[in-house]
Amino acid sequence: MNMRRTTRKAAGIVAMASVLALALAGCSRGGSGDSGDGGAAASSPGITDTTITLGITTPLSGTTAGPGTCTVAGITAYFGAKNADGGVKFGDGKTRKVEIKALDDAYDPQKAKANYDQLKGSVFAMTAGLGTPTNLAWREAAIADKVPQVLVMTGDPTFSDKSKSPWQLGFVPTYMNEGEAFGKLLAASGSDHKVVILSQNDDYGEGYVSGFKAGIEGASNITVVKQLTYEATDTSVDAQITELASTKADVIFNAMSITPLAIAALQKAQQLNWKPSWFLPSNTSSPSAILEPGKASAYPGVYSVSFAQSASSPAFATTDEGAQFLSDLKEYANYKDTPAFPHCVWSYQVGAVLDQAFQKMTSPTRDDFMTALRSISGYTAPFMLDGTSVDTTTGDQPAVSSVVIQKFNGKGYDTVDKIG
Amino acid sequence: MSETSFFRRRWVRWATIVVVVVALIVLPLVLPEFANQTIARIGVFAVAVLGLNVVMGYTGQVSLGQIFFVGLGAYITAYGVTHDWNIIVVFILAFVGPAVVGLLIALAAARLGGLAIAMVTIALPIVGVPLAKRLSDVTGGSQGLSAQFSDVPDWMPFTMYDDQWQLYIVILVTAIVFLLTRNLVHGRYGRAFAIVKGNEAVASSMGISPYWYKVIAFTVASLIGGVAGFLYMVVIQYTSPETLSFAHSISLLAAMVIGGAASIVGSLLGGAYYVLVPQLTNIVDPNSTALLQGAILLIVLFVLPGGLVSLPRVLTRLARRRSGDDRGRTPQTTPITEPDPAAVTEGNPTERQGHA
Repeated sequence: MNMRRTTRKAAGIVAMASVLALALAGCSRGGSGDSGDGGAAASSPGITDTTITLGITTPLSGTTAGPGTCTVAGITAYFGAKNADGGVKFGDGKTRKVEIKALDDAYDPQKAKANYDQLKGSVFAMTAGLGTPTNLAWREAAIADKVPQVLVMTGDPTFSDKSKSPWQLGFVPTYMNEGEAFGKLLAASGSDHKVVILSQNDDYGEGYVSGFKAGIEGASNITVVKQLTYEATDTSVDAQITELASTKADVIFNAMSITPLAIAALQKAQQLNWKPSWFLPSNTSSPSAILEPGKASAYPGVYSVSFAQSASSPAFATTDEGAQFLSDLKEYANYKDTPAFPHCVWSYQVGAVLDQAFQKMTSPTRDDFMTALRSISGYTAPFMLDGTSVDTTTGDQPAVSSVVIQKFNGKGYDTVDKIG
Repeated sequence: MSETSFFRRRWVRWATIVVVVVALIVLPLVLPEFANQTIARIGVFAVAVLGLNVVMGYTGQVSLGQIFFVGLGAYITAYGVTHDWNIIVVFILAFVGPAVVGLLIALAAARLGGLAIAMVTIALPIVGVPLAKRLSDVTGGSQGLSAQFSDVPDWMPFTMYDDQWQLYIVILVTAIVFLLTRNLVHGRYGRAFAIVKGNEAVASSMGISPYWYKVIAFTVASLIGGVAGFLYMVVIQYTSPETLSFAHSISLLAAMVIGGAASIVGSLLGGAYYVLVPQLTNIVDPNSTALLQGAILLIVLFVLPGGLVSLPRVLTRLARRRSGDDRGRTPQTTPITEPDPAAVTEGNPTERQGHA
C-alpha cells in the first residue's frame, strides 16, 4: 500500500517536472538562438570595436610540446609587438588589439575538441594549432558552427580543399607540395638520374611519393628503379638501405619522419659505400639533429625543402628583423631561448598573414574575414625565402604552397636552383 | 516505529531518485552548450572508468588496456555509421565486438597470474596504434574517421539543440550501464569477484573458479569499454590512432584510483576527474598543465587515499575526532565499499590492487 502510494506520488512528480522542464526549454535557449539568426549583420563573437580574440588549441604538454609551444609563441610575439604599437588597423577603419587564448590539448583529439567547444563562443577565429588528428577532431564541428579554423599547422591537404573545408585553411605546405618541388627540380636538371624511393608506409610517406611522382611525370631522364617502404614503428631500415644500394642509383628520395631512422639510413649507406644524392623532408632535415650525426657531408648532396628562414642559424640573429623577432619572443611570448623548431617562425608568419586579412576586412563578421583571408596573393611574410610567397586564392592549396629546394652546405642550408 | 523509519527511508530513496531523474531531464535543456558538452564527455569517460573498475577495482586484476576497447568501440561505431548501417546494429556491434575481443584475450591472459595480466594488457594499446594506422582501408589510417551521426533526428516533434540531444543519449546509455553494473557487482558475481580479488585459494576452496571469474570480469570490462567507445563517437565524433594512445590508458587508471576503486559513484567521479582536471589546469596556466595535473594527483592521493568517493567518510571521521570520539582513528589506506571495515584485514593478498 505504502509502495503503491509512493510510486503514484513519484510518477506525479516526474510528470509535473517534465511539464515544467518542457515549458522552461521553450524559453531557455530560444532567445539566444533567435538573436543569432536575426542579427546576421551584427558582429560575430570575439570581436568588439577595440579588441579581437583568437583561439588556439595546440599541444603544450607531452611529446609534441616543443613545436606546440612555438605555435603559440610566434603569433603571441607578433601581435604582442603590434598591440604595443597601438593595435592592428582593420579594413573597417577601427584599430583593434589582438588577444590570444591558447589551450593545451596534449596532442589528444578528444581534448582538442573540448578546447574548441570551450573557445568557440568567445573567440572570433581559431588559428595556428599544431597537429593533424587534433585539428581533424573538430573540423566538422567548425564547419557546422561556421567558425574559422585557419592557418593551422598540418600538412594534411583536407584543410586546404575549399569545397570540403569551407571554413578551413592550412598554413604549411602539404607533403605533396614538398615532394613535387623536388621532383620538378630533378626533372629539370637535364641529366639522367636513377632514383630509388624509401617511404614511410602511411599517408605521410604516400603524400611525399605521390607529389614526387607528379613532379617527374613525363620526364624521360628520370627512372625510378626501386621503391620500398618501412613502418613508422620499425627500429631499423638497414635491410631496405642494403637492398636499395644494390641498384647503384644516384638519387634516393627518402620520405622519412623518424629522426633516429633518418640518421641510421645516412650512416648505413656510407658503410655500404653507396653515395647517392639524398632528399629528406623538411621535418627530418635538421643540420644539428640529423645531418651531422648522420655524417651527411660524405654525400654529393643532401637536399631538403623550406619556405622560411631558420631561426637557429647564426646568420638569423645578425639581421635586424631576426634580432627583433627574438627579442619580441622574449618580451611578449616569454620564450627565452633561440627556438630550435621552425614552428616559432611559422607561427609569427601566421600572425602576419592574419594581419593582412584584418586589413582587408570591411565588416566585423567571420564571413567577411574568410573572404578577406582568401584574397591574399603574392604576399611575402616576414622571414620567407626568396621564391616563396603566401597565396590563399587557389582554393585547393594551403596558404604557403611554394617551397624552394635547399642543399646542405656542411653547416646549414643554401637555396639552389638546380640539382647537381 | 520500525515501520515508519522503513517508510521514511524508502520515501527518501524515492525522492532522491525522482530529484536525480528530473534533474537529468531538465538540466540539458537549461544549461549552456559548453556545460552540456562537458557533462556528456564526463559520461563517456565515467563509463570507460566503470569498465576498468569491474576488472581492477572489483576483481583486482591490473588492466592497462582499457583504452584499446574504448578505441575499438569508437572505430566500429565510426565504420558502421559511415557505411550507413542501422544505428541500433552499430550500437550492439560497438560493444559486442570489444566484448568478443576481450573474451579471447582474457581466455589466454587470465591463465597468467598477477602482473603478467598487466603486461598482456599493456600490449593492447601498443599494438592498437600501429594496427589502426596500418589498416587504413577500414580505419582511415592516421587521418582517422569522422562521423557526424548524433545530430537531432528529423522525427523529433519539438526543436532541440544537437548538444542537448547528444547529452540525452549519453545520459540514457550511461544510466543503463551504471544500473546494470551496479546490479552485477552487488549480486552473486560481485561477491565472487570480491573473493577472487581477496584470495584466489579461498575462492577455489569455495567452488568459485578464479580463472572463469577473471575471464568474466575482463569481458564485462571490455564490453563496457565498447559502450564508452560508442558514446565517444556520439560526443567527440572523431576517432584516430591517437585515441588509442597508451598514455590515455594510464590516465583512465589514474582517474579510477582518484575517483575510488571498487565504487560505482567513484567511477562517475573518476570520469569527472578525467574531463575536468585538464580543463581546470588549462584555465590556471596552459603552459604547465602536466605539472599541475601531477600535483593534483599527488594531493588527492595523499589526502584521500581511498579516492574522491571517500571524502564524506573522511569528513565524518574528522568531525567525530573533533567531538572527542577516537573510534575512527585508524587511518584507512585501502578503499572500502563494504559497510563492515573489519572485512579488509592486513595480510590479505590485496597488494595488486593496493599498488594499482
